[in-house]
Amino acid sequence: MKINMKINNKPVTIDVDPMKRLLDILREDLHLTGAKESCGEGECGSCTILLDGNPVTSCILNAIHAENREILTVEGIAQTKAGKLLIDCFDETNAVQCGFCFPGFMVSSYHYLMYDGEPNLDKIKHALAGNICRCTGYQKIFRSLYLACERWQKR
Amino acid sequence: MSSVRKIDAIGKLDGSRQFLDDYSYPDMLHGYIYYSQKDHAIIKSISFPKNFDFSQFVIVFAKDIPGKNIVPEPEQDQLFLAVYEATYYGQPIMGIAHKDKNILQQFVKGIKVEYDELKATTDIKECLENEKNHFGRELTIDHHQESEIAPDWIRQKHVYYTPHQEQAYLEPQGMIAKYDPETKSMFIKGTCQCPYFVKDAVETILGKTVQEVVVETSEGIGGAFGGKEDFPNVIAGITALLSFKSGKAVKIVLDRSDDIQITTKRHPARIEIETFTDPETKEIKKLDIDYRLDAGAFQTLSPVVLSRGVLHSYGGYNIPDVFVQGRLMHSNTPPNGAFRGFGAPQAFSAIEAHIDRIAHKMNQDPYQFRKNNLLRKGDEFPTTQKITEDHLFDCLERAVEISSYQDKLKDFAFWNKKHDNKKGIGIAIGYHGGGYTGNGEKILNSEIKIVIEKDATVKIYVINTDMGQGAHTTLAQMFAEAIGHPFSKTIVQIPNTKKSPDSGPTVASRTIYIIGNLLKKTALALKKEIGFSSLEKYVKENPAEFPKEIHNHFKQDPMVIFDEETYQGIAYKDYSWGVCITEIFFHAETYQIELIKSWNVFDVGRVVNEKIAVGQAEGGILQGLGYGTTEFFYKPGFGRMHGFTDYAMPTTLDLPEMIVEFIHTDETLAKGLGEIPMNFPAASVRNAFHNATGIFIDEYPLTPENVFKNLKSTD
Repeated sequence: MKINMKINNKPVTIDVDPMKRLLDILREDLHLTGAKESCGEGECGSCTILLDGNPVTSCILNAIHAENREILTVEGIAQTKAGKLLIDCFDETNAVQCGFCFPGFMVSSYHYLMYDGEPNLDKIKHALAGNICRCTGYQKIFRSLYLACERWQKR
Repeated sequence: MSSVRKIDAIGKLDGSRQFLDDYSYPDMLHGYIYYSQKDHAIIKSISFPKNFDFSQFVIVFAKDIPGKNIVPEPEQDQLFLAVYEATYYGQPIMGIAHKDKNILQQFVKGIKVEYDELKATTDIKECLENEKNHFGRELTIDHHQESEIAPDWIRQKHVYYTPHQEQAYLEPQGMIAKYDPETKSMFIKGTCQCPYFVKDAVETILGKTVQEVVVETSEGIGGAFGGKEDFPNVIAGITALLSFKSGKAVKIVLDRSDDIQITTKRHPARIEIETFTDPETKEIKKLDIDYRLDAGAFQTLSPVVLSRGVLHSYGGYNIPDVFVQGRLMHSNTPPNGAFRGFGAPQAFSAIEAHIDRIAHKMNQDPYQFRKNNLLRKGDEFPTTQKITEDHLFDCLERAVEISSYQDKLKDFAFWNKKHDNKKGIGIAIGYHGGGYTGNGEKILNSEIKIVIEKDATVKIYVINTDMGQGAHTTLAQMFAEAIGHPFSKTIVQIPNTKKSPDSGPTVASRTIYIIGNLLKKTALALKKEIGFSSLEKYVKENPAEFPKEIHNHFKQDPMVIFDEETYQGIAYKDYSWGVCITEIFFHAETYQIELIKSWNVFDVGRVVNEKIAVGQAEGGILQGLGYGTTEFFYKPGFGRMHGFTDYAMPTTLDLPEMIVEFIHTDETLAKGLGEIPMNFPAASVRNAFHNATGIFIDEYPLTPENVFKNLKSTD
């Protein structure tokens, strides 16, 4: 079945099984390997993408869910001003460890920065509650996003 | 340049850095490890689904192994693929590969195995209780004194239980094998901690049919925590066998549910502690420990875990009379393996819980009692190793100070009288020995290689992997700082067994401690030998000397002697010390323990990159807190965990505020840091719960259900 969608601001048409997982379409058909598969059941957030601006776990969505919708992946976010700011803040604090969960954290952080952006620890914790990290103990992730919020407000 | 940025962070943030599943090769097949669905059974027959083009599948059984069907481990008792009998749920039976992942999945679903079920031991507690389940190996540390037990000494004997813990690295296990039939060479790309272990495993399973095996890690290794120390050997063996048989590249990446069910976990433990304490002096006079680990169906590397476990079991106390017995128990569950701490978190979860019981009996606060019995400079471990520094004491004093421990004890006692919900604060202390146990580092004889190129780029070749702990940044930093070279021109290469010498496995908190300090030593020697002020300038002025290749080996201090028979001598040349104090809030209606704040003070010697060190400590502490409060894997009547939905590890909403402080950072030696943060948090929570409620819980984790059960039983 032909499915039309917009990925990272580019229109894309692909001919796939409509039940194929959206994560597999991104990784296998479109070679966007930033989104990772970790739990495969929508629990850990490593495969988070923005679907029409909302953070979703692409491992539990099918191709058909993307029909006529806009997708933003970590590759797209990394090209934006806010994305570059986030990368710099995460990098500056040495927050990244193994990094497997970070593309997901980048997407959730970008969403928070765009739709709220208040440097508020409690709000940040809730905004990232759908992403699991096993390496860092989260504190440096909170600090990085907090820093990004402050800098984004001052820009 | 103390907190330089990590060399690999940007690629991990923008999604460009490649993890194992991000690689693919032309004509690559996807593989699957088909495993036993029974705890213990005879495999009677296997039938494959019809309606598939059978010629498109590659299937390997034990009989297809040209080499040996034994996974090379300290104890060589584990098979790559089951033969006739499966001894645990999850034991690999065959490998299957096909070019289409979906067709492979459908095919696997249709496979039917007929089993004849046999008697199985899967209740971990039962297996730990029953001495008949003993594998036969026994370790003892005998520091008995002839003195008699005084009649007024207080005897306390209690049993402590710790559960399985899943490493839950975010990147599942996986391997790619690429066999070239023309050159008879096998190339392996993997997400693993120990590429030379993997090389050994592949050479073992394929035997002499293969001329050369080269193992390289993926660019990114998505977490490991010990989980990728030994199990990658099994996956690599089966992947290589599939590639050998098909002549094509084969990739196996476990999906989470398979990964969590068949790979190694932290050993569950049953630790029985008996003490005699003098009520006058409040000194512990005698300590007896029975330390048992559930190894699972095979022993694999469990003997090494047992060894480290018993050497950490007596804690950081000065006790004149100590006897420890360590044993490995058998169960029909997947073999347990390495996990950050390696036997020590179990040990401290028990001894630190027991110390609070004694303190309570002696009517002394847990801090004073610890201080009263603390292992101080000049004292000896039960192995007769002398303590040469007072850093554990310093950690304790500092942690008590920054947490306002003594004020909180008073405030909480007052507050708790008037409220149903309770506040509590708990201490746990201890140490972690750096590097391989005993004579291990001498035997490893780790080698490093450095190449200085014509453009003055320094390439560091070591086999130690960066699985997130930041080793490749910190190692480069140590060399660069010592020789006075730009960090940006000092680069640790991706580990590859053809290019990187065997600098030993990436385990045992040894990477910075052994390899980092060796790099530093090499840099200083080089600087002295050539006598330059700037390496860059020297290379420019003496181009004929470059590229230059330098090799060096780690040389263990000859004074480090450990008797593997009697367990006497120097078990670890250098110890890191640490203290964890945690404050909790107990919700009386939901039985939930809310983690409020955790203060952690460590002596790990020199801290090379403070931001990296703090980040690693915070991660370890949270894993330790999860170990103490929510994480377990099996429970009678509850079954086995299947993924991240039922395996409960801390999320962004579950962590306390974590304070990390390093002391004695002006020392010249950087000691081990990787594991120590994991050792004490579980016990600190358990002790805080006692402080809050007056109830001792001796079985971890302190889930609401466990707390409920214990509260009811003391009613």
